[in-house]
Amino acid sequence: MPSTLTQSAAAHPPEAAASAIIRTEDLWKIYQMGVEQVAALRGVNLQIARNEYVAIMGPSGSGKSTLMNLIGCLDSPSRGQYWLNGQQVSAMPDDDLAYIRNREIGFVFQTFNLLPRATALHNVELPLIYAGIGTEERAQRALEALRRVDLEPRKNHRPNELSGGQRQRVAIARALVTRPSLILADEPTGNLDSTTSKEIMILFDRLWEEGNTIVLVTHEHDIAEYAHRVIHIRDGQVADDKPTARARPRA
Amino acid sequence: MHFKEAIGIALDTLRAHKLRSFLTLLGVIISVCTLVAVIALVQGVNLYVATKIGRLGLNTFSLNQFSLHDMTDRQRFARAVHRNPPLRMADYDFLRRNATLPIAIAASVANNSGTLKAQGQEMDDLSVRGVTPSDLVMESFHVAQGRFISHFDEQHRTQVAFIGPDVVKHIFPGVNPLGRHILVNGSQFRVIGVASKQGNVFGRSLDQFVMMPISTFRKLNGKQASINISFKAGGSAMVQPAMDQVRMLMRARRHLAYTAKANFGLIGSTAVMDLWHSITGAIAAVMVGVSVVFLVVGGIVIMNIMLAAVTERTYEVGIRKAIGARRTDILRQFLVESAVLSTTGGVLGILAAWLFTLLAGRLTPIPFSLPWSAVIMALLVSTAVGLFFGIYPAGKAAKLDPIVALHSET
Ligand SMILES: Nc1ncnc2c1ncn2[C@@H]1O[C@H](COP(=O)(O)OP(=O)(O)OP(=O)(O)O)[C@@H](O)[C@H]1O
Ligand SMILES: [Mg+2]
Repeated sequence: MPSTLTQSAAAHPPEAAASAIIRTEDLWKIYQMGVEQVAALRGVNLQIARNEYVAIMGPSGSGKSTLMNLIGCLDSPSRGQYWLNGQQVSAMPDDDLAYIRNREIGFVFQTFNLLPRATALHNVELPLIYAGIGTEERAQRALEALRRVDLEPRKNHRPNELSGGQRQRVAIARALVTRPSLILADEPTGNLDSTTSKEIMILFDRLWEEGNTIVLVTHEHDIAEYAHRVIHIRDGQVADDKPTARARPRA
Repeated sequence: MHFKEAIGIALDTLRAHKLRSFLTLLGVIISVCTLVAVIALVQGVNLYVATKIGRLGLNTFSLNQFSLHDMTDRQRFARAVHRNPPLRMADYDFLRRNATLPIAIAASVANNSGTLKAQGQEMDDLSVRGVTPSDLVMESFHVAQGRFISHFDEQHRTQVAFIGPDVVKHIFPGVNPLGRHILVNGSQFRVIGVASKQGNVFGRSLDQFVMMPISTFRKLNGKQASINISFKAGGSAMVQPAMDQVRMLMRARRHLAYTAKANFGLIGSTAVMDLWHSITGAIAAVMVGVSVVFLVVGGIVIMNIMLAAVTERTYEVGIRKAIGARRTDILRQFLVESAVLSTTGGVLGILAAWLFTLLAGRLTPIPFSLPWSAVIMALLVSTAVGLFFGIYPAGKAAKLDPIVALHSET
């Protein structure tokens, strides 16, 4: 999308665009509930650099999922701007957002969101189908992604034949398979017990080490401790933003 | 997304809901079945009429005292009886000398209430015909046994009979009929040959006849009855010129003015077929109307079931959109699904029509077959119905918001 690229470059300071993968400016999301208006986000300003590992925390209903959906291009803000990889996506039409979701973002959900009747392999292949990739390369890349989450032997299992942790690993493989620049996870361990959660977090750690940018939402402090930076959201605004114990000084 | 994936998804859902899909498709199945079966029936009957009822062999036509048109109502027939003189052997001789375009000319005269006695058996309602030797090339049978009537027989008015296979079956079961004597309307004949089997037309056997030389027939039955004269043209392109020539020769012979109505009947396969096409065409038009109504009903049912499918699979659409499916991808998926659904109905309808024509072909002598053009047309029409009635549900699915769709499950 070259047109949006030039547009964003003009409206954006160049030095920030170079390193930031996510940059939001006064981001608002207002839901219309009949006559009532609910402001889920009230002016979020955020900047996340490439290969950061960020956890978003906050009380229930504070707007974490709303923010993740905007960052993940699943929804458009009511007001404000959002640059992803230097492209302004806040005003993009539907199909362009679909393109970005497919190529730039890997989304992992709390409820896995796998196609129930499809095998693990087919679920992982799905994004590649919409990317227009041919059958052979598709199968090969999906297998490779399943291997990265240690699930190759389960490739022909359907979701109901897998444990919760295995389902989430399939979902992570699906998020990885298009080699996106950004991995978003909204309470990825919310439906898992603590042992399985730990397995999933070790997986995210590995992905971060391999150079991925990771943003995840969680309620649990021990999960948030895996990240290097924690952003607290309260009442639709950033209340707190600080490094964790794992944070390393950057070069 | 590629069509292959979309078709795969469509076939999967079809398989997952077999009974529901079948019920959904009933309208399309009935519609396509009617359409294809009617086309097959009309074609089969037309072919049958052309070859059997018209008794017109390939590229033949006949000159008669009355035309088919004269016989369509009683008053018209009464007027024709006044106007049209009978055809005589002199007319036959005249046409044999002057009609250069037909490759064969034959004369015949018939009486349909003959009786036959032999071997202590009796047959009634027999078709007794007097024919010239050249009649054989006009017929759709061939000589199965013995020989046909010869020029010698005709010149000498011999008492010889060429019989249909039904006569053999009733009078000479298990006996060689050649050389045996039979009584036809009280006169004695010697059997010289047997015709091959032709079968039935609407329950009437075509094989229940006795043929004798036309000269013998007229000697026994008198010379008042009008004769029929048959012609064979050398190829289908020659039928019309040959008919025109015979018409001109007859008009000249009867001194008809340029504007006067013909006082004889020329019946070619086109005349018979025109009559039949007007009847079968009317039937076909009604049935096509019926099948269009079924098709629309079937289409609306498909639209309904697709709307239900969109609601049922909102969550799936949400997942697909969340990982990058565009509107057109979802639109195509559901359009292909409804087209696959209705085309399946079309295929089942064609199969049903095929079984129907197979059965009809067993129970009747009519040679039914499914014309390829009808099969292809039925497939195209059923696919088009699925596409048309799938547009609205597919559009609804394509416009779903990914987040709303994802939350539909929980
Ligand atoms: N589609 C919607 N329509 C109306 N209001 C909504 C909608 N989605 C979210 N909200 C409201 O926006 C606010 C933020 O919701 P959000 O789901 O972002 O919270 P959250 O921080 O993810 O909470 P939790 O930790 O429980 O998942 C809530 O008050 C919620 O009621
Ligand atoms: Mg949430």
